[in-house]
Amino acid sequence: MNNFLVLRLLDRLEGGFRRIGVDYRVMRSILQMKLTMDGRRTPTVLSGSQRKDEKKEGSPFRVQWMYVLMGVLMIMFILPQDHFMLQMSLIFSITMFMITTTLISDFSSVMLDLRDKNILFSKPVNRITLNMAKSIHILVYLLTLTLSLTGPTLIVSLFRHGILFFLLYAGEIILMDCFILVITALLYLLIMKFFDGEKLKDIINYVQILLTIGITVGYQLVSRLFNLVELSGAFKPAWWQYFISPVWFAAPFEMLFAGGSGQSYVLLTVLALLVPLLLIAAYVKLMPLFEQSVLKLAEQGTGGKENGRLADFLSRRICRSREEGMFFRFSWSMMKKERDFKLKVYPSLGFSIVFPFIFILNPVFTGNAAMLKDSRGYLFIYFSAMMLQTILLMLRYSASYKGAWIYRVIPLPGTGPIYRGMLKAALFRLLLPLFLVEAVLFIWLFGIHIIPQLAAALLSLLIYAVLCFRILPRALPFSEKFEAVKQKDFTASSFILLFILAGLAGVHYIFTLFPAGVYVYLLILVLANALMWKRTFV
Amino acid sequence: MKHEEEPVIAISGLWMNYTDRMVLRGIDLKVYRGQIIGYIGPNGAGKSTTVKIMLGLVEGYNGKVEIFGKDITEGDVSYKRRIGYVPEVAELYDSLTAREYLSFVGELYGMNRTDADDKAERLMGLLGLEKSYDVRISSYSKGMKQKVLLISSMLHDPDILFLDEPLSGLDANSVMVVKEIFASLAAKGKTIFYSSHIMDVVEKISSRIILINGGEIVADGTFAQLKEKSREGSLEEIFNQLTGFDKYRDIAGEFVAVIQGGDSHE
Repeated sequence: MNNFLVLRLLDRLEGGFRRIGVDYRVMRSILQMKLTMDGRRTPTVLSGSQRKDEKKEGSPFRVQWMYVLMGVLMIMFILPQDHFMLQMSLIFSITMFMITTTLISDFSSVMLDLRDKNILFSKPVNRITLNMAKSIHILVYLLTLTLSLTGPTLIVSLFRHGILFFLLYAGEIILMDCFILVITALLYLLIMKFFDGEKLKDIINYVQILLTIGITVGYQLVSRLFNLVELSGAFKPAWWQYFISPVWFAAPFEMLFAGGSGQSYVLLTVLALLVPLLLIAAYVKLMPLFEQSVLKLAEQGTGGKENGRLADFLSRRICRSREEGMFFRFSWSMMKKERDFKLKVYPSLGFSIVFPFIFILNPVFTGNAAMLKDSRGYLFIYFSAMMLQTILLMLRYSASYKGAWIYRVIPLPGTGPIYRGMLKAALFRLLLPLFLVEAVLFIWLFGIHIIPQLAAALLSLLIYAVLCFRILPRALPFSEKFEAVKQKDFTASSFILLFILAGLAGVHYIFTLFPAGVYVYLLILVLANALMWKRTFV
Repeated sequence: MKHEEEPVIAISGLWMNYTDRMVLRGIDLKVYRGQIIGYIGPNGAGKSTTVKIMLGLVEGYNGKVEIFGKDITEGDVSYKRRIGYVPEVAELYDSLTAREYLSFVGELYGMNRTDADDKAERLMGLLGLEKSYDVRISSYSKGMKQKVLLISSMLHDPDILFLDEPLSGLDANSVMVVKEIFASLAAKGKTIFYSSHIMDVVEKISSRIILINGGEIVADGTFAQLKEKSREGSLEEIFNQLTGFDKYRDIAGEFVAVIQGGDSHE
């Protein structure tokens, strides 16, 4: 175990801890153990991109470069000297979003570690020591996170705006941390009050998904936001801004450094100061309740009986053999339940919905809305299939990959039915609903005349799905370990597939140039589909 | 049984209820030095709850629990220094290596880190795990994890051991070693309080068997005494009789009938 810098710093305060009844030596070893374990987790921010190195000794600060990078990006918001209200609102919004979601997604497993109870409480460790260790652990985590995110802007602000600005900024960051910490804890309390442990894990899962989408979309939007900073001028107070906490924190800057005056700024400043302090007070009062609720995490939810009627119905209609239906239903329920799968796939579903519209709506915003109806913009629906690759790549992974021994012990004639069932389940569970949502919106935008075109697109995407399956390396569904994700192996195939998708859209485009060409194309596609599906799964 | 000495564990009138049901309904129990107690009962009878109350893991009970002659509600946790615990599910921080985990646990019990480390390494070696000492516990097999848990519970030389299913996952040879360890610890005056579902083991190694059912003690005594009382041959049969479970033949028969029922599966 490492001798962490934090611990060496804490050593200086040993006397103080002892005075309030903390067994310092024990607290130190608990913290050391916790920090070591933190270093061995894979955080959500990196989960998509990095392979975890089992051998390497991590430190809890290993991943912080990611946050530091975001912190550096935020420097551009702190540079201008005239719109503090807007600049600081933006900075606080981004910081608060990042910290809150990270806290919920990554640290929850730490804050709510159930093993603590059995392992630590059964030892001769008093409550003060335990609570202090827990609090310091959270504090260390929160502070490193905050410093990585705000450090760069903090330093720049010192040189650009002076010492007073710097001090105010630093003070507000501390208040903001208090605010976030208490809000997160209260949120947990609320969730745990009404739901059981499994539901909480699901909610944490969705927050993780949100974080991943947030980061990726955030990168896309950074440039636009920068334009926003340059374009929009003065801040106009509005009633709803009193409910947005980043705005509270921005108000003092406007008041002190940009000469903003008026009741609204004073009120916002008071909120920035008062709300965090009140929340902390409430938190201290509710602390015992929190401890109790944590126990609920371990409880078994009663859970309604899962009858899987939809999967059953579909498997009967669309699967040709019993084995195929079996694996259709298996993949279906695994996709529904496997949290890691959702974490990795749902963000790309989000993009798949959003991307086509970004492309279509760009001209609308620039004022060419009238042209839309006659254009071939509906071909952008092909973008919705971009997530197919991710899905097919991810279908092989599972947190409980060891269960894959079942494939080897059951008597199966071949792997064909497994793959066909799996692919159909993925298409029906993920691609089809998404495509239908997009199709409805597209019809609303373009008019009824595009229905044949959309049908052709769907058929062509089915072919694309088979191509994806053929080109990507094969593996039995849910049979490999998540942490072994080796993205590099798939980069080449991913690029090829991207070109194929563009190619399919191109072919479709050519057919739209002829009158009634789409009907010919439909016919060809039906035949091609029949052939492809038959040939691929033997 | 006559005992001149003070009991190490004295429980009287212990009641406990969770929100929806009564778990313990008036447990009275005195345990003395050198006893190996098999604490048995059907699932959900309240075995783990009793142990967790004694360890201070569960609060909100009614009644009095004294360990080493002191009421545990007084807030002094130092009695835990003389207790070792192996929890029911193999719960440990498995992203740590055995070295890190065991020396950490030793420290929690107030040992010096290097002492704990040395001792743990030797104990691991004795159980045939010297090569795995610096490997993360997450890669261990079930039996290896169980050995680590056993070591962690005895590292600090406790006077009472609470063990929940201590032999699960161990191979036959390790079981013999561990049973022998229990016997010699008891001979040295340590108290071992364990629960298990494997009746053969309980029958062989316990010096006293306590059977609880529905939150109440329904039998307490040596195996010979229990046998005399219920006039059954093995502990298994005594268990069945005292817990009022006599349908095992019917259930097994039906089970096999369902298996052979043929085409009802897909």
